[in-house]
Amino acid sequence: MKCIIPGINVKVFGRAIHSLAKIGEELYLEPLEHGLALRTVNSSRSAYACFVFAPSFFQHYDDGSGQLNSQDSEEDVLRCKINMKSCLTVFKSLSTIERTVDRCKISLNLQESRLVFQLYCRHGIVKTHNLSFIECETLQAVFSKDLCPNAFTAQAKLLSDIVLNFQNNQEEVTLIMKPDKVLLKNYVEDEPDPKKVVHTELGLDPIEFDHFQSGVDTEVTFCLKELRAILAFAEVTALPVSAHFESAGKPIVFSIDSDPNFEGNIVLATLAEDLSTQDNATQQSTQNSQPINRSMPSTAAKRTSYSSKKSSVSSTSFGRRVSGENLERKMASGDAVKERQEKSSASKLDESTEGFRVIKPMMGVNNGGEGSTRNGRVNLLTRTEEDPWAQPSTSSPVIPLQNNKHLLHSVGADTSMPEVTPPGSDEDDEEDMVPGTPPSKKFKSLFFGLSQASSQASQQKEAPVLAEETDDEDS
Amino acid sequence: MALLTQQAEEDEHYILVAKMDNARTMSNILKAIHFKETATVFASERGLKVTVEDAKCVQANAFLQAEVFQEFIIKEEQATFKINLTVLLDCLNIFGSSSNPGVTAALKMCYGGYGSPLKLMLEEEGVLTDCSIKTLEPDDTLDFNFSSANVINKIIMKSECLKEAFNELDMTSEVLQIVMSPDRPYFRLSTFGNAGSTHSDFSKDSDMMEAFNCAQTQTNRYKVSLIKPSVKALASSVRVSIRTDNRGFLSLQFMIKLDDGQVCFVEYYCVPDEDLAEEYDD
Repeated sequence: MKCIIPGINVKVFGRAIHSLAKIGEELYLEPLEHGLALRTVNSSRSAYACFVFAPSFFQHYDDGSGQLNSQDSEEDVLRCKINMKSCLTVFKSLSTIERTVDRCKISLNLQESRLVFQLYCRHGIVKTHNLSFIECETLQAVFSKDLCPNAFTAQAKLLSDIVLNFQNNQEEVTLIMKPDKVLLKNYVEDEPDPKKVVHTELGLDPIEFDHFQSGVDTEVTFCLKELRAILAFAEVTALPVSAHFESAGKPIVFSIDSDPNFEGNIVLATLAEDLSTQDNATQQSTQNSQPINRSMPSTAAKRTSYSSKKSSVSSTSFGRRVSGENLERKMASGDAVKERQEKSSASKLDESTEGFRVIKPMMGVNNGGEGSTRNGRVNLLTRTEEDPWAQPSTSSPVIPLQNNKHLLHSVGADTSMPEVTPPGSDEDDEEDMVPGTPPSKKFKSLFFGLSQASSQASQQKEAPVLAEETDDEDS
Repeated sequence: MALLTQQAEEDEHYILVAKMDNARTMSNILKAIHFKETATVFASERGLKVTVEDAKCVQANAFLQAEVFQEFIIKEEQATFKINLTVLLDCLNIFGSSSNPGVTAALKMCYGGYGSPLKLMLEEEGVLTDCSIKTLEPDDTLDFNFSSANVINKIIMKSECLKEAFNELDMTSEVLQIVMSPDRPYFRLSTFGNAGSTHSDFSKDSDMMEAFNCAQTQTNRYKVSLIKPSVKALASSVRVSIRTDNRGFLSLQFMIKLDDGQVCFVEYYCVPDEDLAEEYDD
């Protein structure tokens, strides 16, 4: 294997590695006939990212298959993983790389078993990095974009601006897809004290997007960290990002595929719906509030202040949420809930096996799975607007603020308090509640990795903390 | 008038009086060798030499020649004292280290001889600060016996590209290997870390090279932990001279341009790693 990246593309390549480094700790590198694939998966196997750089991206590209076959037919095509940190040192300072590197050569030193990165810089300086690697099997996530009923494509700038509104320590975000709008809000764990929670919610009109296809009303919750990673890449390359997703529990795919020279896909696990009673409650509440949401513009026709409308919407949803919890409480006492959840999560487990798995390549047909990632997407219902602002929203009941692409609305504790805490005296009981599993683990453990099945079971036993909470509240 | 004579009388007590328009000049140079708490100061009529040592293996010298000062009076042949360098730098930056253009802190430095404190007077826009720093018994400093007669290989290059290489040194590697050779790879910096090895090759024909005098191939290893502090000096320098002698001792000389166009020098000496492994892998 030998490939040479020309100077102008080294930065893109380096940026891809920086993005991958934010996701996983190991970089899986595989030269394929149709390009060099860089992949990674995070430690909990809830996020997978793959970049494929086409031969046209390179000044010279040789995947090494021919050479190896002639030398030793037994020898398989190189498939290896390297430590992400060591790869990152090669592309440590992107600004310096952009300024000084003329070309980058990636080759394989079979004698020394080293993957060699050579940076040919200006002033006749050559930096050689000999990285040790581990041969491994292909890392491949099983996902398909073409069957997803929901999809949108947006400029990276728009998405980064949206993501910017969420707090840095925000782990997960919920994307709510409706025929006439997209809502993004931060996912709040079963936080015992509502005073400590900031709710952030953003509404986006379909005209904000380059493509917008809403097949099924859905609500998906996924990790923000990995999304930030791919957005960092997309923003530098100024390429649009498209998202494909189906429903809660099914992976969401973000992809950058508008450049013919490379393609990036990131697959994120989404939170399953019936994880806990609260999830049910929130789901119910949003479903319940949906008609209200829709009817609102008609009743309160032409309300100019978007935010005031928003606050009333979210406060209703808060009210609903509480009532939803009440419902749950009546339906099931603590133990029964636990049992039910264990069962449901067990059945969920089976469903979730369609997550990632490491495919053992069969007789050199290592890129079999690759095809699915490169499949064309479903014909998207395209609503391209040349100038989104010039076009007044006609069908949408939402009145967009003309110059404000992303509308931020944070529901502070002060405004929402009255609705959220009806039995105010029970506050102390809530405080005594056993803290739940860390949110990310509960989230991640649900979906991926067969190897994690055992840890999943144990974690899910701890999961229904809410049952205890509701018990306390009942008493 | 009375004040002036009084001041002149006061100055008589000191064996060293040095004045400088901009205290930053001094602090910038001293920062370049600030990798240990204490420094030894040698004052002679040629100026100040400030020495910092570590582990009896590395020595850094900063030279502030008399011309850098607006006034430099020394009454004895030589004055030597040890001082806490961190405190000295703190005092020099007492008006803040941010560089306000046009605003400079003037410095007057006095030393009364063995056992007396080093007095600093700093003035910025009419605000006056007096500092008195206790001096310590001077230690013997190392003599690396590095004479130019024994130098085998010598390279002078612009600091710019070496800065980058030094900044990216793989700190998981214990040693930095320096190859200097009349043939390829001419000048190579290598590290051998957890993740694999890294080499930076500098061609002798590069426009960054100002002088390339290598007589024979030398491969020496130096502890990264000892070399790394020189990054500070490298960062503020414009040119660097890299020399190795017949024992493998390394001398790095950094030329630092001052704001007023004068130049100062900072030098590092470092001993090679004893157990030069036979099998250094390429």
